Amino acid sequence: MSATARPEERVESEMDPHEEEALGRAYDGRLLLRLWPYIRPYRAQVTATILIVFPMFLLELAPATVVAVGINQILDAREMPGTEVLVESEGWTPDASLREFFTPALEWMNNPPDMFSNEIWLGMIFLVVTALLTVLSYGHQILMATTGQNAMRDLRRHVFEHISRLHMSFFDSIPVGRLVTRATNDVENVTEMFSQGLVALITDIFKMAGYAVVLFLLSPKLTLWTFAIVPILGIAAVIFRLKVREAFRAVRVKIARINTHIQETVTGMKVVQLFNREERNFSDFDRMNADHRDAWHQSIKYDSLLFSTIEMATGITMAVIIAVGTGIAEAGLIYIFIDYMQRFFMPLRDLSAKYSVMQSAMASSERIFEVLDMEPGVADPVEEMPETPDAMRGRVEFDHVWFSYGKTEGRAEEDIDWILRDVSFVVEPGEKVAFVGATGAGKTTIIKLLTRLYDVDRGVVRVDGIDVRDMPQQSLRRRIASVLQDVFLFSGSIARNIALGREDLDEVAVHRAAKAVEAHGFIERLPDGYATEVFERGANFSTGQRQILSFARALAHRAHILVLDEATSAIDTETEAAIQRGIHVLMEGKTAIAIAHRLSTIRDVDRIHVLAGGRLVESGAHSTLLAADGHYARLYRLQSEQVEAPETPAKLA
Amino acid sequence: MSAEAGADRTPDPLTEVAEVIGESPVRHALRRLSVYIRRNWRYYALWYVIILVYSAAMNTLPLAVGWSIGGLIDPAVSQAEVIDRCCLVAGLAVAGGGLRFISRLLVFNAAREVEYEIRNDLFEHLQKLPQSFYFRWRTGDLMSRCVNDLNSVRMLLGPGLLSVAQSPIIFVGAFIAMCTVSVKLAILMMVPYPLFILLARVIGGRLYLRSLAMQQSLASMSNLVQENIAGIAVVKAYAMEDDQAARFGDANDHLRSQQLSLIRTFAAMPALTGLLPAAGLGMVIVVGLGEIAAGRMQTQDLFAFAIYVRVLTFPAFMMGFAISLVQRGASAMLRIDEILSVEPSIADRPDAAPVESLSGAIEFRGLDFRYNQDARDAALEQVDLTIPAGSSLGVVGPVGSGKSTLASVIPRLFEVDDGQLFLDGIDVNQIQLSTLRSAIAMVPQDSFLFSMSLRENIAYGLPPGASEEAIRTAAERAELAGDILDLPLGYDTLVGERGVMLSGGQRQRTALARALALDPSILILDDTLSAVDAETERRIQTSLDEVFSGRTVLVVASRVNSVRHLDQIVVLDRGRIVERGTHESLLAERGLYARLAEEQERDEERSRMQAELDEPRDAAPAASAGEGA
Repeated sequence: MSATARPEERVESEMDPHEEEALGRAYDGRLLLRLWPYIRPYRAQVTATILIVFPMFLLELAPATVVAVGINQILDAREMPGTEVLVESEGWTPDASLREFFTPALEWMNNPPDMFSNEIWLGMIFLVVTALLTVLSYGHQILMATTGQNAMRDLRRHVFEHISRLHMSFFDSIPVGRLVTRATNDVENVTEMFSQGLVALITDIFKMAGYAVVLFLLSPKLTLWTFAIVPILGIAAVIFRLKVREAFRAVRVKIARINTHIQETVTGMKVVQLFNREERNFSDFDRMNADHRDAWHQSIKYDSLLFSTIEMATGITMAVIIAVGTGIAEAGLIYIFIDYMQRFFMPLRDLSAKYSVMQSAMASSERIFEVLDMEPGVADPVEEMPETPDAMRGRVEFDHVWFSYGKTEGRAEEDIDWILRDVSFVVEPGEKVAFVGATGAGKTTIIKLLTRLYDVDRGVVRVDGIDVRDMPQQSLRRRIASVLQDVFLFSGSIARNIALGREDLDEVAVHRAAKAVEAHGFIERLPDGYATEVFERGANFSTGQRQILSFARALAHRAHILVLDEATSAIDTETEAAIQRGIHVLMEGKTAIAIAHRLSTIRDVDRIHVLAGGRLVESGAHSTLLAADGHYARLYRLQSEQVEAPETPAKLA
Repeated sequence: MSAEAGADRTPDPLTEVAEVIGESPVRHALRRLSVYIRRNWRYYALWYVIILVYSAAMNTLPLAVGWSIGGLIDPAVSQAEVIDRCCLVAGLAVAGGGLRFISRLLVFNAAREVEYEIRNDLFEHLQKLPQSFYFRWRTGDLMSRCVNDLNSVRMLLGPGLLSVAQSPIIFVGAFIAMCTVSVKLAILMMVPYPLFILLARVIGGRLYLRSLAMQQSLASMSNLVQENIAGIAVVKAYAMEDDQAARFGDANDHLRSQQLSLIRTFAAMPALTGLLPAAGLGMVIVVGLGEIAAGRMQTQDLFAFAIYVRVLTFPAFMMGFAISLVQRGASAMLRIDEILSVEPSIADRPDAAPVESLSGAIEFRGLDFRYNQDARDAALEQVDLTIPAGSSLGVVGPVGSGKSTLASVIPRLFEVDDGQLFLDGIDVNQIQLSTLRSAIAMVPQDSFLFSMSLRENIAYGLPPGASEEAIRTAAERAELAGDILDLPLGYDTLVGERGVMLSGGQRQRTALARALALDPSILILDDTLSAVDAETERRIQTSLDEVFSGRTVLVVASRVNSVRHLDQIVVLDRGRIVERGTHESLLAERGLYARLAEEQERDEERSRMQAELDEPRDAAPAASAGEGA
């Protein structure tokens, strides 16, 4: 969703909260290609992971050969048929190259060194090969997992940093939980694909092809007979794939609903309990939960069917091999066949697990790239930032600014829903100004443009004499400390919540800021003072206390521009007055911009700007505005008539 | 900063776990799960019978294969006879496959059944837990237990249990079958397996600790992401991106190394267990070849043994895998139990008073309250207060003076000691929760909305099928009806997560409408209208006067104008009532209340002027939502 998303559109996009329904394909080349940049740095490991399969395959061929050699040795001793392991009785000889490859190994097995008897020698070879195979396959797994984890750490980091850079409007339109899922579960799913899906799949395909080739070279006739069952299995796998896709889809949609429901109930538990909704909630939940279980019953049915079909096929194949082999092959070869056929079938057994892994990995990577494809909306300039003239530090200027939350290009002038129309003003360094006006007059928008959460449509916003679009956003925002309407506290100590990770803010600076806004007292009374842990969303503080902490935070950062956005709604008037005094001291010589629907916040300002319908209708110091005899003056007179003379006149500097 | 944060991300690795529960985690998990397993005993009993038959079929198969091979080797046996023997092999395979299908179906479905039951229990339990629980527990952490850990438990019950219960049967069956061929070789074949138990102990224990550590690492990384996104406005405003990225980087690296260390152990298990049958076969080759040479055994018997190795490889492999599943599932069950074992401290007492409705008289008798034992200051101290039924009370005071706490203890959102709070003269702890809470409608300070339609949010406390009229009346009283009319979808507008689609003022008014839709004897408004502009607030106040009549009303406010007309006003400071009276008498006292009122008075007049100053702008609600005002 871009900067130009209209709120109405957002409402529509919200109507489909179960994005998981888009789940389908288990393979998408385009998506795999997009994952490549994350794997590229580890391509050496990936190559190694795949190459290691070849020695593993060769070693896997050995154990059955050892057994076959042993069996044939016995049969030879008894002068029974079966001298050569690799010869079919029909007179067909295996391909010369394979023979050349196998013969030295067979000779080696058949001729033990003098110190060993035949059986000891074979037993030793068997054990050494098996041990080697174990080591290799363990190494293979670790290599695979390490590569996957490394690549996914990079992907996760990229997703996280990209999300942080996205435009504010994006965060209004997408639930927090969904974005968290992108950086956590979705990345996790893609990782799974690496270790259990994709690489395993490549390995399996290599091995299956290898066994097919070796079997065919050993005995084409026996191979053709036994492979007659493969097409049947192929058809079963296709049917399975179609059926299971539906089943998995149903399962995912249902689990997503369940988890959303739990999450929402947990966060809104206070309301649930206050309104006695527990029972009704539970029966809703029970229904979802049962649906999910029933959806699984379907998928379990197909999964078990595939699994047992493969197992059955393995057994039947053994019978076929022996039946067909009678008369054309001796016992050693038959053992080799049985062993290799079983290894051939093995990967098919957990096909459904792999399918499921691939399917969810594809859906997850699709969703991840959806987020990564979103433009940050407000981009940092490429060129170097102009120098700030000292005299300009703290100066804020709006120069004929027009702004609309909707699209402006290609629209007729009268169709554009302007929030700000041709607004111009200058706040000189050290000046304190206030904006007043009704809801929707555009007060908060001014702050959003100033901190460049949005870009202007026309005109220029300058901070410290520089166009905000020519400044890196971080540099701009370091110049401005904001006290926002919605206070958010992070987990961690109170001290961290004031310093917000700025290392140059030491204990002294934090305490000074807290004292200035009357927060020091209540913080000191907490069990651990400034080290007290803040609970999730600041649940251990009252709304007013949270707002006060938000003030302390802004003051501690000592930016030369302070922005207050209707920041005192839950603070009593006396505390508020004290805060105002504190701000006055700490902000001496710095610029302050305040917005309030309660006029008390603006009692200390140098200049008042009055906004109405997106236009600046009046501005000036209290006295100037009085002298101008406009709206403000009329109101002031109204005030003097209605209110008995206040004991302490409003301080209007 | 980040070093400190890193330290609290890795709470001491789990040494305390076994101490706390006083038994091995696996035993604990099995004991807890046995309740659920017993409930589904039919599934499991049938499954067990089938496994026995399956094991018999699968263990006859190698003998049949050997028999067929014997026919192949022996020239005396005709080809037709060999084919007949092969048919037996195929028949056994078909029977085995069929039984396998049924057994998997049974055990996996049973696991899903148990998962369903545990999830229901978890949800039901969560709904009973008090606010103090939700203070302590992060949503991300709870979610990870409800999702990931439950999944691991299900894996324990499905594939885990399947292998753990079935493998021994197959092994015993195979041993008996092999003994019919050669006792000596059968024993040799089984020699390596006791090693398995040793492996299971060593690796299993390590696996348990590492999977617990990994789960914690995952949870803390999720929390970090969650917080970064939920607090993105602050992150951006204070240019914290780099600092947050660094913190995330640490958590991310930590998670990666935890996962890798888990995988290193996890992968070792199947690798080593795969060795066991192979080692057995190696010995059988050495001894068997000698036996055959000496004429004590047939070639086909060696063949049969080789097939047994293949039959046993998968169960042995699965056994290793199952050990990891069981360990992981056990640690997950422990984490789930951490929630389930929290006793709901606010619950109906068995001797609850038999009241069905409350008239609304509230009395505080020397109420003391602190949020936890080690809190230095009490949140409320020695509060004595009587609010007669049908009268109204205003609560004002400085920030953090205990106003919201005072309101929250009445519906027992927090626990108070016996003998301190009475409704209709009955101790609040003696009243059934449903009776108590249906007598009260409360608008909490944070106006949480559910991601449903506006209609459903307003009707949240009403029984299903609430009349359209009731919903509209509530919306009108909360001055919300006008806003709703301007929305394209009207009452069907979805409000989004936590109501993000609405402005702060609209959210508060929706929360108000939700309470006003009820017909409570007690109405509690906790600083309900802070984000509503002064003009709207005044209009709401007028309709509230009508709602107030005949009810007990408690209004918490940070500003005095919301309480001035109420029957009784108390001023709180640091948890104590410092002043009480009516607006007039308190003004005359010239204390804290009078000071607050004077500030307020000036404020009020300014606001009224400001409202007149602004030309009424026909702003689409969408625009105000965009403004986020």
